[in-house]
Amino acid sequence: MNVREALLQPRSLDRRRARTDTLMLRIFQVAAFLSVLPLFALVFYVTLRALPWLTPSFFFNNPLDQEKGVLNAIVGSLQMTGLAILITGPIGIAGGVYLSEFAPKRVAAISEFLIDIMLGVPSIVAGIFAYLVLVPILGPSGWAGSAALSILTLPIVIRTTQEVMRLVPASIREASLALGVPVWRTTLYVTVRTALPGVLTGLVLATSRGLGETAPLLMTARGTNAENFFDFGTTMNAMPLVIYRYSSAPDESFQGQAWATAFVLMAIALLLNVVVRWRTVNSRVA
Amino acid sequence: MTSTGFDFSRQRNASADPLFRRILAVAAGAAGLLLLVLTGYLIAYSAPLWAIQSPISFLTTPQWITGIDQADGSTLEIYGAASMIFGTAVSSLIAVLIAAPIGILGAVYLVEFAPRRLAVPLAFLVELIAAIPSVIFGLWAVGDLSLRLRDSIEWWIASSIGQIVPWLSEDPASPSSSTVFRAGFLLAIMILPMIVAVSREFLRSVPISLREGYIGMGATRWEAIRDVVLPTARTGLVGAVMLALGRAIGETIAVTMVIGNAPGIPSSLFLPGQSIASKIANNIGEASGPIQLGALVSLALTLFLLSLTISLVVRLSLRKFSQITAVS
Repeated sequence: MNVREALLQPRSLDRRRARTDTLMLRIFQVAAFLSVLPLFALVFYVTLRALPWLTPSFFFNNPLDQEKGVLNAIVGSLQMTGLAILITGPIGIAGGVYLSEFAPKRVAAISEFLIDIMLGVPSIVAGIFAYLVLVPILGPSGWAGSAALSILTLPIVIRTTQEVMRLVPASIREASLALGVPVWRTTLYVTVRTALPGVLTGLVLATSRGLGETAPLLMTARGTNAENFFDFGTTMNAMPLVIYRYSSAPDESFQGQAWATAFVLMAIALLLNVVVRWRTVNSRVA
Repeated sequence: MTSTGFDFSRQRNASADPLFRRILAVAAGAAGLLLLVLTGYLIAYSAPLWAIQSPISFLTTPQWITGIDQADGSTLEIYGAASMIFGTAVSSLIAVLIAAPIGILGAVYLVEFAPRRLAVPLAFLVELIAAIPSVIFGLWAVGDLSLRLRDSIEWWIASSIGQIVPWLSEDPASPSSSTVFRAGFLLAIMILPMIVAVSREFLRSVPISLREGYIGMGATRWEAIRDVVLPTARTGLVGAVMLALGRAIGETIAVTMVIGNAPGIPSSLFLPGQSIASKIANNIGEASGPIQLGALVSLALTLFLLSLTISLVVRLSLRKFSQITAVS
């Protein structure tokens, strides 16, 4: 109706419509610009504040050393996240494979629903759960921290595995089964193999998420100033904990360490995501 | 075909496959079970609180007083979640009010206007924001963003509308070092990529023929967006915003760093407050006794139920959306 009226009107209305069109285009452009602005502002500012503090002693010393550094936090983060992925990787991939390949329709629907809810569980809630279950048994420790991270990363691995397994064409499975290959062999060596890049993407995303989690580690791993590599039985330090603790410290050198740690964590997170997301964004646009 | 070798291999397969399936099923079940165990633990550990206080009084009381000795020697314990629920709700709403228009308009630009060689990198950059850990957003806010907001947007609002509306006022002589508004603004930045990414998916799912038909009738691109694209994708866009709201409600560490963690319900948005998650994060270390712990677990349970409700609403509304697309 709008259009019909417009066609019957003199040209001044057309001009107004064209002007509105251009104006709206500008508004959309500004919104898109505002959407990416925070990334540049954040990366620029963190880098600016971190650069003076990125010294060798920052990377290779511990908080109690003369020239303090955050080596134990970097190692602790990698250890706890690594262990969490070692736990959730096999369970998550197996679960995702089951849901996409074997689960009866209703079971799959219910499980998907539960896993979606798991994905939405606030990290502090998962943290308090790990705190209630594990800290009384294991004490505040690297074990408890890894377990908390496992709870948060498991649904990510299951969901991505399931999604990519669905994309594998049925004909590939059928070809393998027609050759007499058993189902389990077909699944592992044909279907999972075909979907492997996507499955690895899920693992990388889970790693990135695990490295950045703070609240659950506050309750479980607690953080420490000591150097305790591979000693999961004691409290363990992590990069997010250092950033959180030092951010409000009055001493400028502590704040500097917080910015430098943030820079390292940000660089790792961005790197991991650039590697895996570049491909997926491209494929989705095409 | 009665070769024994063939039969043997078939038997072996037949016995291996159910085992294989069962192992996988156990793994899938573990995830679902984890959710049930989590819910069970939250309910069980919150029980000691319900012995001294009803859930309704917990949700509506603004004070949180832990065992202070009275003059007569008795202890006073009041646990109320109202001020934390207020902080969580208000900061999340501010976040959605800021991020939803920008995110949806930005997504429209990416889908409808941007040339491909610009749309791909832009979408990629927006998704990268989501990859940055929230503690880094918190640090950025504490060290830089918070001060800029105080001297710009917050000050503009407080010195104009704030003169008339009391809950937007700020003391010009001593502006607070952390405020509920700043927490909301930071959350807006953090949920923006989610809104852009999900809206983009739904806008892309609007069939191109609908746009072509309308533009073919003489409509401009903006008119096609206003009359065809946005109404068709409406439910999906609402879902995108709801998802982002769920994320904002659960966000812990960044909010804890900027909201100020002051007790009580603030009288103005430009005063410090606290959120459910920040209260738990701040107090869990010093919780002593089952009642105090129970109060914190009850907070976690409240947060869990809130995000659960939002998840359910999103799922239901998006299911409706898929039916609409199936029809059109």
